Amino acid sequence: MAVRWSCVEAGCDWSVEAAEADAIVPLVQSHIAEVHSSFELEDMIEAVLEDVPDRDEGGERG
Amino acid sequence: MASVVDIESKFHFSREMLAGPIYRKYEKAIRKIWSVEDLDFEQDARDWQRITPEQRSGLLGVTIRFLAGEQAVTDELVPMLAAAHALRRFDWTMFLSTFLMEEAKHAEFFMRWHENVVGILDPDEVGPHFLVRGKTVDPTGRFEVRDVLHEALPYYGGRLLEASTGGTEVEIERAFVQFSAAYNSFVEGVLTMPSYEIVIDTTAQWDAFPTLNQGFKLILMDEGRHITFGTEACRILIEKDPSYEALVHEIFDAYRGNVVGLVEYQKAVPGLDLGKYQTMKVRHYRNRCREMGITPDETLVEQILDPTIDFVVGVEAG
Repeated sequence: MAVRWSCVEAGCDWSVEAAEADAIVPLVQSHIAEVHSSFELEDMIEAVLEDVPDRDEGGERG
Repeated sequence: MASVVDIESKFHFSREMLAGPIYRKYEKAIRKIWSVEDLDFEQDARDWQRITPEQRSGLLGVTIRFLAGEQAVTDELVPMLAAAHALRRFDWTMFLSTFLMEEAKHAEFFMRWHENVVGILDPDEVGPHFLVRGKTVDPTGRFEVRDVLHEALPYYGGRLLEASTGGTEVEIERAFVQFSAAYNSFVEGVLTMPSYEIVIDTTAQWDAFPTLNQGFKLILMDEGRHITFGTEACRILIEKDPSYEALVHEIFDAYRGNVVGLVEYQKAVPGLDLGKYQTMKVRHYRNRCREMGITPDETLVEQILDPTIDFVVGVEAG
């Protein structure tokens, strides 16, 4: 299974998928820093990850 | 002669706990231990000498709140430990031992920073810089801004301690959800998150106080575990009895006034984009709800984003 994180900042529908939690954390932190000028903590990212079926290629949506 | 059941009751650890998410947090906390002793306050002390009186006053408005807040939350953790014992969750007890130590360490960081950088520490020295909550007013009269930290935590903590020492399992669980919703989700997980960013952004904007910046980042690393421990524990209990979800909403509703606007110490530092700190509370609120597996109260989200709700703050210190 891969994992997905979805942004819930007001007005944002960005989401990202990766093969595992370790790989998704820096992607989420980059999004929050670049788009929302803020930060998201590793434990908080990991706490809301959703399991999704493996895909041929992961990546950003939204 | 003791029965097998009597003997087995002396052991509290299981393979299920060892494989569970709370024990993972305990392991991570042990791996990530840091020490205030390793921090150097000299540059921060030099920066304090060069900033303006207005900047000093604004920054102290936030840091003094943290100095009081970290002491308060350290003092309020005992009920959670008592509840973990009463619910026979030794993995929670193990994690909470790191939680308690870390909150004491955060209090130590703020004690050291104020002593070494500003030269104040005793209550009669720091007290005059504490911004009084009564100065934050909703001009429409719709919302009351309460002191959740010094009001809700002792109240719900007292109820949890009482339940843990004589209540039924359901009473302990209900009291735990209420206390954790107030402590981990509301205070730590939503209300205070903008305040961390306010201090980190201030140090970056002023190109000053590198150790205050470093300390806040280290503290946040710990707080991420604390907050998600509370929300994970609530998720476990709410899965067991979905009626507990209403208890979380009741807590947020009771202290709604504190999050629909920015309070006095969050408006104290001059020159920051305050809109960002208001909006980000929606993300944190929705994420805490996701972590607990509950549905967000969209009326609260709408009120956080409502630009007409803006508190008037008199920033005079007490």
